[in-house]
Amino acid sequence: MFLVLSPFIVLAVGALLLMLAEAFTGSERSLSVVGSIVLFATSACGLAVWLLGTDNVDLSVLAPWIILDRFSLFFNALLPFGAALVCLLSGGYLEEHRLQRGEFYQLIFFTTLGTMFLSAAGDGLTLLLGLETMSIGAYALTAFRRTSTRSVEGGLKYFLLGSFSAALLLFGLALLYGVTGHTDLAGLRDGLAHGGALSDPRVIFALLLVLSGLAFKVSAFPFHMWAPDAYEGAPTPATSLMASTVKAGGFAMAIRVLVTAFGDPASTSWASGWPPVVAWLAVLTITIGNLIAGRQDSVKRMLAYSSVVHAGYMLVGLAAFGAAKSAAIASILFYLVTYTVSTIGALGVLILAGSHGKEAVSYEDLAGIGKRHPALGLAFSFFLLSLAGIPPTAGFFGKWYLVKAILEGGMPLLGVITVLNSVLSAYYYLRVLVFMYMKEPAPGAPKAVPMRSGEVNAALVIAAVCVALLGLRPGATIDASEEAAKTLVQ
Amino acid sequence: MMITSDSYVFVAAILFIIGGIGFLARRNVLVQLMSIEIMLNAVNLTLVAFNRSRPENHSGQIFAFFLIAAEAAEVAVGLAIVLSLFRLRRSVRSDEADSLRN
Repeated sequence: MFLVLSPFIVLAVGALLLMLAEAFTGSERSLSVVGSIVLFATSACGLAVWLLGTDNVDLSVLAPWIILDRFSLFFNALLPFGAALVCLLSGGYLEEHRLQRGEFYQLIFFTTLGTMFLSAAGDGLTLLLGLETMSIGAYALTAFRRTSTRSVEGGLKYFLLGSFSAALLLFGLALLYGVTGHTDLAGLRDGLAHGGALSDPRVIFALLLVLSGLAFKVSAFPFHMWAPDAYEGAPTPATSLMASTVKAGGFAMAIRVLVTAFGDPASTSWASGWPPVVAWLAVLTITIGNLIAGRQDSVKRMLAYSSVVHAGYMLVGLAAFGAAKSAAIASILFYLVTYTVSTIGALGVLILAGSHGKEAVSYEDLAGIGKRHPALGLAFSFFLLSLAGIPPTAGFFGKWYLVKAILEGGMPLLGVITVLNSVLSAYYYLRVLVFMYMKEPAPGAPKAVPMRSGEVNAALVIAAVCVALLGLRPGATIDASEEAAKTLVQ
Repeated sequence: MMITSDSYVFVAAILFIIGGIGFLARRNVLVQLMSIEIMLNAVNLTLVAFNRSRPENHSGQIFAFFLIAAEAAEVAVGLAIVLSLFRLRRSVRSDEADSLRN
């Protein structure tokens, strides 16, 4: 059984040992490389457990608190992988911007551990613990640059709205406990199905509270206000962690709660269940996110809104769950993989494009950088094209597969809205390319000077290889996400 | 008048609403923090009250204990953030924290 739990154990023990090592040696220099090795090892453990299978292992000790099925193993491989890339990015960024303090890496480790628990949580109690471990780390990471007003304000907004949303979610769970007498998700499902699920007004009220709590965590409209501020104010590696691992953890929680506790046919039907609510949230998130993203002057803030929009796309997939069942969940899981590597890559290039005092923030900062630094321009273009969903990148297959699941679920209108918005979003991604290649910086205007860092380069190469591989040969990952989705839905 | 478990849940619901309104209406970060605490305490009260009417196990009460611990950890980080904001701006009003705009 310890073998099956190895991803959690490797990460927790590794994080504690690194904390000790940092305290006793007082050196932060190699923390990012060692930290990313620990996180890659965690991801590899998740992958190994996936390949070995958990069929012969008695997991009844963990039930119902921790569920180690293919769904959580999928996330145990994905979440630390994203965090490992972020760890490498932090190595270069913190040194360049003189923020080099060891806590940053510990916060990354424990935030990641929280997201992994969240993806495996089968009970309200473990859900609470995973959620708090994740959120507390993320709040501290956002406000990490203590001397910057923007960083602290971003952290404050994230903290206030995050705790408010956690209170909503928990009150919803407490009400559901009152109705069914269960805090575990499987027990909730049985208790709710017994009395005809959503016929009880108390259950509907509780579900609305839970839904708004979940929408906050995945930054869906109208609960997305914290996201752009927190993403913009945070140090860029923290932004990339929030946009990838933390967001994926939020989705893991949302999917498991909705599919396990509210997965009965009546609750998932279009006529009487939650899918229309999620669909409205999703459509508004995508459309409004796109409109605001197009108006931004700051590339970092544009990427923050783009992360809101991508959350919207995945919510469309979730709305199709009632009809498309496991295909819908599989498409979200695959989308999360493609989105994680693309967004870490894009934010990573943004880190690389700036140096101390000469950060790349606005579109103007990037003017002409593609001609002065061809490799950097090429990398940024590649990741942005993937985010826009242009073949043959990973992002294209993510969208393709998502739209396919939506259409198979018999929702052509939602599919059309997704595709149209995806075309619309190309505007602000391509605008970066226009600035990089077709504009020159105004004389005397501040321009970004790229930094040099082997760690950042390594992270970008890994992310680029993943984006290219997922674009050329998505087969194995798609199979894995289908398998993970099937164990959850059955 | 008999005091039943439902009375406690009723009180908890009122507390939750008071906390929610306090969070949305007030602009002093410390008051907003307290409002969140009131909301979470309402959750605790709900859990314990429902557990009273379902005495076959203690999952509601155990949940409440874990929630208290998690709340404490969250407030520790929250107060640290408020403190660093106060150092920078000499103010704890959330509507004055407006350097991030689109």
